[in-house]
Amino acid sequence: MQTPGPAAVELVDITKRFGRVVACDGVDLALQRGRIHGILGENGAGKSTLMKVLIGLVHPDRGEVIIDGQSVTITDPIDAAGKGIGMVHQHFSVVDALTVWENIALGDVGRLDPAAVRDRVGDLSRHYGLAIEPDARVGDLPAGMRQRVEILKCLRRDPHVVVFDEPTSVLTPAESEQLFDALRRVVDEEGRAVALVSHKLEEIRHATDTITIMRQGSVVERIATADSDAASLARAMVGRWVSLRTERAALGLGIEEAATVDDDVDDEPADARDVLELVGVSARGGDGRVLLDDLSFEVRAGEILGVAGVEGNGQRELGDLLSSLAPISAGEVRVDGRPVRCGVAGAMSRAGIAVVPEDRHDSGCVLEMTVAENLFLAEPERIAPRGVIDRRRMNDAAIELIERFAISCEGPDSPLWSLSGGNQQRVVLARELSHEPKVLIAAQPTRGLDVGAIEYMSDQLRLAAETGVAVLLISTELEEILDLADRIVVLSRGRVAGEMTRRDLDLERLGLLMGGADVSELAP
Amino acid sequence: MGAVWDVLTNEVTYSSAVRFAALLLFAASGEWVAERAGTLNISVEGMLLSGAFASAVSIDLVDSMWLALLIGALAGLLLSTVQANLSHRLPADQFVVGLTINILVLGLVGFLDDELDPSVSGAGVVSVPLLSDIPLIGPALFAQSWPLYLVYPLVPAMWWLVYRTRWGLEVRAAGEDPNSADVSGIRVNARRRQSIYLVGLTSGLGGAYFVLGAVGSFEDSIIGGRGFIAIAAVIFGGWTLKGSVAGCVLFGAVVSFRLSLPQQGYDALGTELLQALPYIVTIAGMAMFAHRIRPPAALAKPFLRGLK
Repeated sequence: MQTPGPAAVELVDITKRFGRVVACDGVDLALQRGRIHGILGENGAGKSTLMKVLIGLVHPDRGEVIIDGQSVTITDPIDAAGKGIGMVHQHFSVVDALTVWENIALGDVGRLDPAAVRDRVGDLSRHYGLAIEPDARVGDLPAGMRQRVEILKCLRRDPHVVVFDEPTSVLTPAESEQLFDALRRVVDEEGRAVALVSHKLEEIRHATDTITIMRQGSVVERIATADSDAASLARAMVGRWVSLRTERAALGLGIEEAATVDDDVDDEPADARDVLELVGVSARGGDGRVLLDDLSFEVRAGEILGVAGVEGNGQRELGDLLSSLAPISAGEVRVDGRPVRCGVAGAMSRAGIAVVPEDRHDSGCVLEMTVAENLFLAEPERIAPRGVIDRRRMNDAAIELIERFAISCEGPDSPLWSLSGGNQQRVVLARELSHEPKVLIAAQPTRGLDVGAIEYMSDQLRLAAETGVAVLLISTELEEILDLADRIVVLSRGRVAGEMTRRDLDLERLGLLMGGADVSELAP
Repeated sequence: MGAVWDVLTNEVTYSSAVRFAALLLFAASGEWVAERAGTLNISVEGMLLSGAFASAVSIDLVDSMWLALLIGALAGLLLSTVQANLSHRLPADQFVVGLTINILVLGLVGFLDDELDPSVSGAGVVSVPLLSDIPLIGPALFAQSWPLYLVYPLVPAMWWLVYRTRWGLEVRAAGEDPNSADVSGIRVNARRRQSIYLVGLTSGLGGAYFVLGAVGSFEDSIIGGRGFIAIAAVIFGGWTLKGSVAGCVLFGAVVSFRLSLPQQGYDALGTELLQALPYIVTIAGMAMFAHRIRPPAALAKPFLRGLK
């Protein structure tokens, strides 16, 4: 295994700029047949850009792609597929409205032969042990199944090189294991070259043969997986030694450790009152699909309740509901014992619920407006007492918040798009916490942030809880939940599959609950 | 109620309902494809009118029915190249382009009609043996002027194109999830342009049919907003072909009903109110079905390549 075969594909001196940002800076990478090559790096390290060069979605400013000793130009994904390079995308490239076989036929050429495609799907899924129903509509399938469609779609073209971009972000731990088994088969039995792109250290160490580590657009280290150790990998990836627990959790380093080092944590105060209560909440989508199903839980003052689960099990809907964006069909939401009307704009906010939303660009802030305007977007009466904005008052209040939350920007008048992602997130957090809320909802609060920004966000959530706010953390990153939450509920298919406190944490049971296992079989 | 009964038992009501429904079907069958690809193509109105006028002029100049139909279809196609390339090659807003085309065609046709004043000779009636003997429905469906019969193979052909060919699969992917389609190697905007060419052809042909096979003369108000009713039929049908056909038949029947009432000598209801009837039914239909239908996910959303 240690003798490298001939390179299936080589990237030489790849450089790509987006405006002022250098996404890739003179990167070399060789993928060998029969090997799984891990590409490790933080968000924004240039991993994805590099892979997009490989499949023709991004055209490099400089550098070469070499296949079998020949320099080639890859114009688009179809061209890449023709040259034997395929990719399994993080955000799937499957069309929800089409069936499994239709998706797999998509992008082929020639006459459409449904029967032949169906047969081929059957053969492939048996061969790789990835069972799937060819006539199912993809939108009806859970995330793990949709990824299977994506993988089969890629392998159907018989690529020499397969790129997996953050493949486990939508999977349960058990599904991830299945995926890595299939990966091994692709590599060992069929001699394909695999690139596994990830920001999770543990899975890179677990599943790969060699590792390339990227930081700020450059390769900082190449190492055989067998010779690597977690701490030095983490150091290479972040650029300094990491010791803080949050950081280690953010890197996916040692779940067990994150979950067990908590003996110094007090038991939650027994007299803490329930601040946010959801009682039998159900919600349906526009097409009648059940999104939230008889959901009940409560969040106490001063605690962080973590909502764990695999993406697509109701997290987004729960966040939308508590942001007043969506109505419910049954049940009740109460704050301090008083019911709040659902789906009425601003009702949740007036009841004292602050939200750091899942996608800050979509529903958290307005990039074209200034920092100050964004800070007072939710409560303009504070700076515009009679409907007219008092500019001096706005500026003073904004400067105060900028200092308090250490937002790095040129001033209150700088446009929000000029800030880094982490600082944009601070603006959202500052705005939400400045209302002195009773409840803070943080939905995927650290997605797409770098390690430093994750650290800051985690501190702020802890701080909020310490000051008596009831904090609800909705996250698909299990490490984040284990690091921060006092109590965990697992969301599966829109309902609470199970609950556990930090004291009686059982990782295996947690994983099973996330995978949708029947609760009654697991009752402790 | 006697009036309603007389109208409903009159053969003419059914014949004229089929003629109107056929016009809507020519337009809606192509419009359905364009919408499945992601374009809410409002210039279908202008396409119908240009097809109608071009065929009227053609039949005046050369006495060939087939040639006139062909020229009508090509006029619609010509217009569709403007819509398709402005909205899916250049990033112009599809509604602004469509609105402009409709106003332009209306003005241009009005002007040219005054200048040329084409005299139209209609196509002959062809009765299908046996089938046309069925009471009420028989003559309505099978004793019409022959250009109408073109719509019968056209509708299943559209279904086959969308559901049984690779092109159709790619069109549906382009209308549902253009990013995924792009990553899968499909030229999203090319598919969208092609589907607009298709609606150009079918509605140009539809306009030509209406002049030659239904009305037999040309005036610039001949289409009179029926392109928009065809769009409504597609929406009413929940973006399925079956539903769109049902919508066209319903709206065609309503138009025919309101024309037949006064012809039967009943004018108790004001003509203005009657004229509004198809539109009232359209709005009522949309209100009834709007909440339970799901449009193509990327309908009316432009697709631009590159990093976002």
